Amino acid sequence: MTAIQELIKEIRQLTPMSPVVNQLMEVMDTPGCAMEDIAAIVQYDPAMTANILRTCNSAYFGLSNPIESVRDAVSLLGMDQILELVMMKAGTRTLEKPQKGYDLEQEAVWKSAVAAALIAKELAKKLCPEHRNTIFTAALLKDIGKTVLDRFIASSHEKINTLVREEGYSFMEAEKKVIGIDHAELGAMIIKTWNFSPRMVKIVRHHHLSDPSMQLDTDIAIVYLSDCICMMTGMGVGADGLAYRFHDQVIKNMGLTSDDIMKILAEFTQTMEQVEELLQIV
Amino acid sequence: MKIIVGVSDMKVSNTPGDEVVTYSLGSCIGLVLFDPVARVGGILHYMLPESALDKEKAANKPFMFADTGIPRLFKQAYKFDAIKKRMRVSVFGGAQILDQKGFFNIGKRNHMALKKIFFKNNVLVDHEEVGGNVNRTVRLQIKTGDIYVKTSGAKEVKI
Repeated sequence: MTAIQELIKEIRQLTPMSPVVNQLMEVMDTPGCAMEDIAAIVQYDPAMTANILRTCNSAYFGLSNPIESVRDAVSLLGMDQILELVMMKAGTRTLEKPQKGYDLEQEAVWKSAVAAALIAKELAKKLCPEHRNTIFTAALLKDIGKTVLDRFIASSHEKINTLVREEGYSFMEAEKKVIGIDHAELGAMIIKTWNFSPRMVKIVRHHHLSDPSMQLDTDIAIVYLSDCICMMTGMGVGADGLAYRFHDQVIKNMGLTSDDIMKILAEFTQTMEQVEELLQIV
Repeated sequence: MKIIVGVSDMKVSNTPGDEVVTYSLGSCIGLVLFDPVARVGGILHYMLPESALDKEKAANKPFMFADTGIPRLFKQAYKFDAIKKRMRVSVFGGAQILDQKGFFNIGKRNHMALKKIFFKNNVLVDHEEVGGNVNRTVRLQIKTGDIYVKTSGAKEVKI
């Protein structure tokens, strides 16, 4: 079996996400999406419903009367927060694992995914608010390919490092050269298998913007930038280090300057407080 | 005791059993001071070069910026009887993403800000591991002044 065939087999073995996630993805960024629509979808997944109700009734929210329906939960927390909770619950199972090949602890993988998702959503609110929920989810799941590629990274570590250190490859270019596939391609295959929309597949596939023709796509550029911000802060940075390509033109195309980037960085401590808060309630 | 220095944070100690640690410096800088006579040491983990970016942030979180954080680290060490000319000064971090150039190279700007402040104040650096595309975790043992650095994907090394 070739490495790629083995990887595809592993993808099939991953526990798929709840179908509710896909249905929510379809409606959440459509104009006119109402609370009822969200509640109607979520209530068909009993485990998810139980989870959300438990979250809302946790001490964190300190409610005097317990909430008993998803509809009430949506009106209490707002649509965006319900979506964040659903996506995070859905992502936890796959992303809350250590990655030995990438030299990342369990906590680092999950926290950096959540941090990137929050940074991306903040950017989306300014640059394309109507896509904010898709962008949040894409940023949360962008590195899902690493969960499967991890084992192969461990055994190809030396070859990859030589290409990065001595031949000027980015870590992802070296993944492709040595293993035959990189984590972005693999991530796209995974979420395609899980029936995510072609749009989501495209964002995950191109989130490092190695294909110049994707650089003007604002949704992808936002997810890309959220990843760069995390790298600069050292979040989720493992064996791959910061060895990915920076495209300053992409940042300029979004109308952002280096001062804007620094201002996003300055918000980082606050972002992390939000991450901790979210992790507490999920 | 293990004392963790978060992002935009600073810790100083003179308790021999303490170990001061800062995790995963990307483009941030970890500045480590140690006075071997007073046996006091500390780490500052700053993110950005200049507080002019956001005065309000700088007032609330002075350790976020080089120009507001660095003087505070030195002053805190002086309170524990450290003396400037005795102090060993080590600098880590300031990494960059590949092709991150010019104004966008925050790691380099963070390092330049430190060099500017040190030049003005006659501070010499004893050890420096700055730049490149790696992240670094740094720990300082107060008892010995030994510094250990772990670079992403590699084993920890004693300086």
